[in-house]
Amino acid sequence: MSTRIDPETAAGLEPPAPAGAERNYFKRDLFASIVIIALIAFAMEAWSWVAPVYIMPSVVLTGDEILTILGEDYIHIVTTILRLLFAVAFSLVVGSLIGVVMGIVRPAEPFIKALVVIFTGVPALSWMLFAIFWFRGTEERVFFILAVILIPFYALNVYDGIKALSTDLIEVVETFRPSRWQVFRLLILPHIVPYVLMTTKSIIGYAARMTAFAELVSVNTGMGARMGLAQDELNMQGVIGWTILLVIVNLGVQAIVAWAEKRLLKWRPEVSVR
Amino acid sequence: MTAVEARTVIELDRVDRYFGAHPAVLDLSFRVMEGEIVALLGRTGAGKSTALHMIMGVLEPTRGTVRVEGLDPYAQFKELRGRLSVSFQNDRLLPWRAAWENVALGLEILGFDKETQRSRAIEWLENVKIVGEENVRKYPHELSGGMRQRVSLARALCVDPALVLLDESFSQLDHVTSKALRSDFTELVRRLGKTCVLITHRIDDALEMADRILVLAAPAKLALEVRVTADRRADAAWLETQHAAIAAAMGGEDETEAA
Repeated sequence: MSTRIDPETAAGLEPPAPAGAERNYFKRDLFASIVIIALIAFAMEAWSWVAPVYIMPSVVLTGDEILTILGEDYIHIVTTILRLLFAVAFSLVVGSLIGVVMGIVRPAEPFIKALVVIFTGVPALSWMLFAIFWFRGTEERVFFILAVILIPFYALNVYDGIKALSTDLIEVVETFRPSRWQVFRLLILPHIVPYVLMTTKSIIGYAARMTAFAELVSVNTGMGARMGLAQDELNMQGVIGWTILLVIVNLGVQAIVAWAEKRLLKWRPEVSVR
Repeated sequence: MTAVEARTVIELDRVDRYFGAHPAVLDLSFRVMEGEIVALLGRTGAGKSTALHMIMGVLEPTRGTVRVEGLDPYAQFKELRGRLSVSFQNDRLLPWRAAWENVALGLEILGFDKETQRSRAIEWLENVKIVGEENVRKYPHELSGGMRQRVSLARALCVDPALVLLDESFSQLDHVTSKALRSDFTELVRRLGKTCVLITHRIDDALEMADRILVLAAPAKLALEVRVTADRRADAAWLETQHAAIAAAMGGEDETEAA
């Protein structure tokens, strides 16, 4: 095969992204985060000098508590992460399918849309209380609460995505006379991926908080439940320790989503506004 | 030696198409023979895109019959799988597929294995002068307008269709790129003996590429038919006379023609 590049081909080459720009942004953000964490730690320490330990423990005491949790109670962290990931994965699949059905099955659209919109209006606390009444098993309770809260987000965003599908692209695929399955696989599925990722990115932090909340209210395992226990025992360093770990879990999961987004959406141009 | 009569690829017989009470095409009849390049030329609203959509099989005629390869493209939509392809005014590349994957789209739909898809797509990209591993792996946003249109043309040809439809495929490009692409494409289509229908509002494009020009004029009727040969194409005086006659039949030259 020839490797000659004709002038027009050469003219089509995009200017390369500024070298190291992304790395510089990362360094800048990392530095800012370290400064903020240091300031918060200093404020906590200063407060602990004047407040009793059940109001604000010292940084050292809190650090010891975190080490104890990591050594003895790590199973609760694993439990929470698994609950979160499983519920998000399930909601992603089911919610996206509901969104696709809403988007392409005209007669079903108004009914499913009405149902999904009504579900989004039900307070999370109500679902938690329903779950306690309806389910005996603790895992079922947490799973139900998360799924019923998260599914509508996926359904509505994927539905919007399908509505935004270009008729030009539909027409060009149709010229090759594909089957319905091929239209779904080659056009609809890749088109909704950015909407699914955007939804995951938006809800993952909320989902992590909801997981802890659901554990606090309805079960006795997981990070939320342990936070509740620490509060019952007036163990403030425990509450803060679990909170810090929850933040770390939250950021870790968000980093995984950001990584997946970068990998799956590498075909998208980077847009910047001056 | 007896001449072999060319096969009819497209036949429109007294076709009308209305949108409500508005006629988009009226009493349109023409044939396109195998290996012919025919231009459907007209101003905006002359009915050329409606005619194209009926040939593609996405619009049903109100009256009359449309046949492509002897089949009704609307009623027998699936039967024309792989025998007809289209390149549009805008490239319409799928943004999540690399250049070669866009070219291979039709092959994937036709059920070819991945290896065949890739080798044939790369071969077609070379045919439209996109070469080099780096370029075939580029996503649409990394390509220039001219390159994207080349990919779009390669996609239309890659399935080895009997009939290629071009819907204003060169009209959004700058003059130099458009001319180069028209020349390359015409040479390629003639070499392969493909039947081609070119929809355009540009008289020069039609005179340069087509064997036959069908001029549509409002209200959506066939107003003039011009046969173009290589000799005539080389004759500046003939071209000038025909240009004027076509412009008159169209009801005046399209404003965008001068661009």
